[in-house]
Amino acid sequence: MASEATLGSGRRNWLPSWLAGDTVQGIRRQRMVLGILFLLPTLIGLILFVLGPIVVAVAMGFMKWNVFRPPEFVALKNFARLFQHDLVGNSFSNTFVMMAMTVGMLEVFAIALALSVHRFARSRLAYFFRTVWFLPVLLSGVSVAVTLSYMFHTDFGVVNYYLGVLGIDKVPWLVSSDVVRLSVSLATVWRNLGFTFIIYLGGVSALPQEILEAATVDGARGLKRLWLITLPLLSPTILFATVIDVIRLLQFFDEPYVMTRGGPGDSSRTAVMMVYDTAFANLEFGYASSISVVLFLIILAVTGFQFLLSKRWVFYQ
Amino acid sequence: MNALSRREMIQASAATVAAVALPGSVALASAPSQDNITLRLQADPRDYQEVIDAYAGVAPNVTVEPVSVTGIDHAEVATKILASLAAGTPVDIGFAATEATQLYAGEGLAMGMKDRLLDQPDDLMEYFSDVSPVLVETDFYEGDLYQLPRDFNAANMWLNTKLVGEAGLEMPGEDWTKDDFNEYAKALTGLGPEGDSFGFAWNNGLWGGWLPWIFVNGSNLLSEERVGGGEWLWDTFYADDPNAAGRGGGFRWPEPQANNAANVEALEHVVALTRDGYAPSVERGFAENLSGFFAADKIGMYPGGGFFTGFLQDAGMEPGTYDAQFWPWWQSQRHQLGVGALWILIGGSEDAAWDFVKWHTGRDVMEMIGFFRVTRTTPARRSMCTAERFPNVSNWNIFYDTVDARPDTGPIPAPVFSIELTNIFTRYTEVAVSLEQSPQDTLDAMQRELEDLYARNA
Repeated sequence: MASEATLGSGRRNWLPSWLAGDTVQGIRRQRMVLGILFLLPTLIGLILFVLGPIVVAVAMGFMKWNVFRPPEFVALKNFARLFQHDLVGNSFSNTFVMMAMTVGMLEVFAIALALSVHRFARSRLAYFFRTVWFLPVLLSGVSVAVTLSYMFHTDFGVVNYYLGVLGIDKVPWLVSSDVVRLSVSLATVWRNLGFTFIIYLGGVSALPQEILEAATVDGARGLKRLWLITLPLLSPTILFATVIDVIRLLQFFDEPYVMTRGGPGDSSRTAVMMVYDTAFANLEFGYASSISVVLFLIILAVTGFQFLLSKRWVFYQ
Repeated sequence: MNALSRREMIQASAATVAAVALPGSVALASAPSQDNITLRLQADPRDYQEVIDAYAGVAPNVTVEPVSVTGIDHAEVATKILASLAAGTPVDIGFAATEATQLYAGEGLAMGMKDRLLDQPDDLMEYFSDVSPVLVETDFYEGDLYQLPRDFNAANMWLNTKLVGEAGLEMPGEDWTKDDFNEYAKALTGLGPEGDSFGFAWNNGLWGGWLPWIFVNGSNLLSEERVGGGEWLWDTFYADDPNAAGRGGGFRWPEPQANNAANVEALEHVVALTRDGYAPSVERGFAENLSGFFAADKIGMYPGGGFFTGFLQDAGMEPGTYDAQFWPWWQSQRHQLGVGALWILIGGSEDAAWDFVKWHTGRDVMEMIGFFRVTRTTPARRSMCTAERFPNVSNWNIFYDTVDARPDTGPIPAPVFSIELTNIFTRYTEVAVSLEQSPQDTLDAMQRELEDLYARNA
């Protein structure tokens, strides 16, 4: 029977000498290699599915490619074209308008809901409300959009039917360029509210009770307490939620694509829809890549700006 | 011995029938090879499983793998096929409606069939004798044939006969006019159980949108001309067919003419229907979306082909409450058309794919296709267009008569860049029918964008 020491050395025999030592350096090296091995699957995934496509998309932005013929290098032509292309400017403008409307509604409704549900934190109702508000997040964006586009139909939709019961005229939810962005934003808010709500519920649950109680004792109640105490304490969560929501909503696609296809005309066409149509309908993959590169840079800049501004209003305890 | 399940029984029967009946009728180009081949076929397995099972009996070394691609319209389906091509997972045998026929042919993806057809003309003589030359000409591109028509739909007019009766009217005759149509649209508005029906409804698309009004007004969205060539097919397969006379090697649409006077007039006509309350708001979607409302007596008339039969059956519409008629006369009664068929990818397993496509034209094979059982499209074979295929439709004969008795019926304008064209057409149509811009201004803007499109694709 082999001794433990023999077994130990036997186990290390296959290791290269620089890794096999029992010295502090050897153990450090072993840990480093182990760490790299654990990280490797994720790193490979990131390189293949995130970094790789980003690099290819950037490179493709300088090409002309329609799938059928080999890519052709066109330098900055695609970028020059997109800054003169009204439809691209219009789609970015729509994206910002709809993102602003949607994020505004999402944050306000989610904070209000989180504060309301938190009141029931110790009762079973909390489970009920958490589940009910989160359920739409689990639904497919496309099926929600299809259903809502039926509901928002001007003449046959259930929304206008009930407005009619209340004596309100039909609203052209999806066929008026004045209203359509609001309709799409409302649909997006309905589906995404649960996600933002859960983030805020976590933030509200972590608020320091002693500060809130002290504020109450000092006479801060209602809106005053909300504005001066609760929201500042919640500001790191607000920053996190808005950053996440802004990034997601600058990539608006499912709802407007299914509900309106960007219409009427181009009034609800978003930047990502523009990328999709340019690539797959017009077969201009290079041009589409250049639009997506610009969108990426805009998202990066907006996120950076949010963090820069956060120094003025986010309160870290 | 294990009992066969019903599914296994059907599969075995289909394979046996096919194995016994079919191999003698077609010569397979790839028959001598015993190499195992997999053909990726763009088809919904629910419609094609029986065909695929039967083909396993005909060509045991060929595995046909169905690839289901769905979309809101044919342009979107083509978009997804191109995406799969870009992703490196193309189909060997694709499906194209007219919207994409020239796209695949013009971009060098689809295989021309001329040489193979001329090599084995006897194999397809019976098929062509059963298919209108109007349909075949639509599948030409620059003198070569890229598809063998499987199904088609021309835009006819469906009428809710319950509402027609309620309005005290009769079904219109086949020579009815645009003015008659307007009278029907008015009369069929505000009826039904809740008094809220619309006389006419339509969807915004290249096929069946307001393009039929352009056609009957003697115009087209793009200028249209016949390409020379194609005699090789007409002389071989249609020598005795008077409807084949004067046909060529396909259609070409050399320039846009969106804002000509006839088109402006046609758009004004449909905009007026919405503005005056005879047509509902025109929103995205396809016929499935509105068949329920038609069945619920909320829509009096709707543009559709034979495909609408199945949709109305699925929507539970009672027999005797619907019927179809030709599109009304205006300056002409020229109908618009879309043809669906399989195409073969160049560079794939072309021989095996050709064998399948040729075999697939057999009437017994087409009878196995699911969407011909509950009619969700009109068969390209004349002999398959029977009263039984269109149950409860008194005027069922108009579907094939649209190409046989009205041979001026022509394809929707669908050049190589038809997907982008469709997007432009539908985008500007939305603006006009939402009453935000006059038809003239809308079509002027559409014309400018179409001119840009032509310039980019010159």
